[in-house]
Amino acid sequence: MAVVVGTKRVVLGRSIFRYSIITMICLMVLFPLYWMIVTAIQPPDITLMYPPVLYPQDPNLDGFRELFRDNPMSKWLINSGFVALLATLITTSFSVLGAYAISWFQWKGKTAFGLMLLFTQMLPEALIVIPIYKIYDQMHMLNNLAALSLIHAAFVIPVGVWILRPAFESIPSEVIEAAQIDGCDHLAVLRKIIIPLCSPAIMAVSVVSFFASWGDYLLAVTMISKQELYPASVGLASTMSQLNTPIQELLSGALIYGLPPVILYMFIQKYIISGLTAGAIKG
Amino acid sequence: MVSFVSPRTTFNSTRIGSSKKLPYVLIIPIAILTAFLVVYPISQGIYLSLTDKTLGAAVDQKVSFVGLANYINLIQNSAFLASIRITVSYATLNVIFSVGAGLLTALLVNKRFKGRGGVRALLTAPWAFPDIASVIVFIWILNSAFGVVGILNQHLPFDTSGGWLTSSPYAFISIIGMSMWKTFPFYSIVLLASLQSVPDDLLEAATVDGAGPFQRFKNVTLPSIKPTLYLLGLLAFIFAFRQFSMIYLTTGGGPERDTETLVISVYNTAFKYYDYALSSAIGVAGLIITFVVAVVFLSLQNRAQKRF
Repeated sequence: MAVVVGTKRVVLGRSIFRYSIITMICLMVLFPLYWMIVTAIQPPDITLMYPPVLYPQDPNLDGFRELFRDNPMSKWLINSGFVALLATLITTSFSVLGAYAISWFQWKGKTAFGLMLLFTQMLPEALIVIPIYKIYDQMHMLNNLAALSLIHAAFVIPVGVWILRPAFESIPSEVIEAAQIDGCDHLAVLRKIIIPLCSPAIMAVSVVSFFASWGDYLLAVTMISKQELYPASVGLASTMSQLNTPIQELLSGALIYGLPPVILYMFIQKYIISGLTAGAIKG
Repeated sequence: MVSFVSPRTTFNSTRIGSSKKLPYVLIIPIAILTAFLVVYPISQGIYLSLTDKTLGAAVDQKVSFVGLANYINLIQNSAFLASIRITVSYATLNVIFSVGAGLLTALLVNKRFKGRGGVRALLTAPWAFPDIASVIVFIWILNSAFGVVGILNQHLPFDTSGGWLTSSPYAFISIIGMSMWKTFPFYSIVLLASLQSVPDDLLEAATVDGAGPFQRFKNVTLPSIKPTLYLLGLLAFIFAFRQFSMIYLTTGGGPERDTETLVISVYNTAFKYYDYALSSAIGVAGLIITFVVAVVFLSLQNRAQKRF
C-alpha cells in the first residue's frame, strides 16, 4: 500500500515538474509577443517607467490612432493584402498543377524538376535580388505590385508542391480508377476528385503563400520605392528608421501587421510540418 | 482509355500516368516562372561576376569583361573571408541551440497532458510572426535605456553599455537569440511528431530489461528520431544561411562588419559599397554553398526514407 502511494506521489511530482517547465517555456516564447501588446496599448509615460511594470495600465488605442494618422498605414496594409492575394492565387494554382504532375505521373525529367524546386526553395533571395532588380528595371516592372507578387510566387511554389504532394499521393488509386471508368479524363480527375479531397492541404498552401508574401521585406524594399506603393513590411520599416516615431505607435504597427499570420498558422501547423520535412525527390 | 492499368505496387508507383504530354503541360507555368525569376537572374549574376560593373548608375556605363578577377579579388578579400566565417558560426550555433532546445522541449511535451494541443499551437507563434514585426519587437525589448531586457545591462557583471545590437560580441549574440526564439518552438513541434512514431512496445521492452530513462533515450528514442534530427539540423542551417531582414534591420551587418553574413555582404557590397560585380561574385559563392547544401539534404532524406 505504501509503495503504491509512493509511486503516485512520484508521478504527481513529475507531472508538476513537467507542467512548470512547459509553462516556463511557453512564457519565454510568448513574452516578446505579450510585451508588444502591452506596449501597444498603454501610454508611453507608463511604458518608459523604471523599473517596468509587467502588466498593462490605463489601456488605450492611441497608438493605433496615431499609426493610421501619421502614416498611410491602411494603404500599406491594402498593398500587402493585394500582393499577398495575387501571390497566393498564382502559387496555389501552379502548385496544384505541379504536384499533380509529380505525384500521379511518371515522366522523363521528373527528378530534374524536383531538384530545381528543391534548389529554388533553399536559395536565399538575397543572392539573386540584384539581377532580378536589373531585369525588372529593364522591363519597367519596378514599382509594380503585381510584378512583385510574381517573385514571391516563384519562391513559395516549391513549398506548395511539397505540401500538396503527400496529400495527393494519399488518395487511393481505386478511387481514381473508378472515376476513370466513369469517363473522367486526367484533368477531370484532378478537378472532381483530387482537388475536393485535398482541399485542407490546398487551403494550407494558400495560407503559407499568403503569409510568405505578407512577411517579405527584402524583395519588396528592393522593387518598390514609391511610398504610396509600399507593402506594410516596408512601410513599418520606414517608420522604424525615423527616430521620432513614438514607441506605442511602432508597436501598434507590429501588432496589427504581425498577429494575423500567427493566429492563422495555429490552425494549419500540421501541414507545414509535412511540407517542410517531406520535400524530397522520390524517384 | 489505357490508363488505369498499374495497381499500386509501391508507395510511389505511378498509377494513372499514361499520358505522355500532360505532365509536361502541367509544369509549364512553374517552369516559365522559374526560368524567368530564378534561372535567368542566376545566369545574369554569373555574367556580372565576370565583369567590372559598378552601380555608379550610368545605364550606358561601359562594362568590360574581366574574367576571374573578381573571384581572385574575393579570395584575397578579408571582409569576404570574415563573412564566410560569420555565416558558418551563425549557422552552426543556430543548428546547435535551436535544434537542441527544440529536442529538449519535445521530450518534455511528449507525454500526454491536458492542454497539449494548445501548447503546440502556441509554439507555432514565433515561426509565423513576420520578420519585420519581430525586428520591431526585439529592437524595443533590447533597447538599453528602456527595453525590458536591455535595461538588465545595469545589473550584469559584464559591460554591455555599448548596446545589445550595436557592440560586439553582443550584436552577434542577439541575432542568434532572435533566430533561436523564432525557430526552436517550431522545431520542437516537428520533433514531437517524430517522437510519437517511436514504437511504445520497444520502449516498454527496454524498461522491462532494466534500462533507465537515459539508456532508453540513447538506445531506443535517439536512433528512431535521428533522420528527423538531421533534417532539422539542415533546415536550421538553411534558415540561418537565408536570413536577411532580421539581421539587416537590427544590426545592418555591424558593428563594423561583425554580423555581416554572406547574404548581408551581397547586399551591402552592392548597395553600400556600390560594387555590383564583386557583389555578384559573392552571390555566386553563395549559390555554390546552396547547391552543396541541397545535395546533402537529398542524400540525408534518401537515407531517412530507406528506413521505412
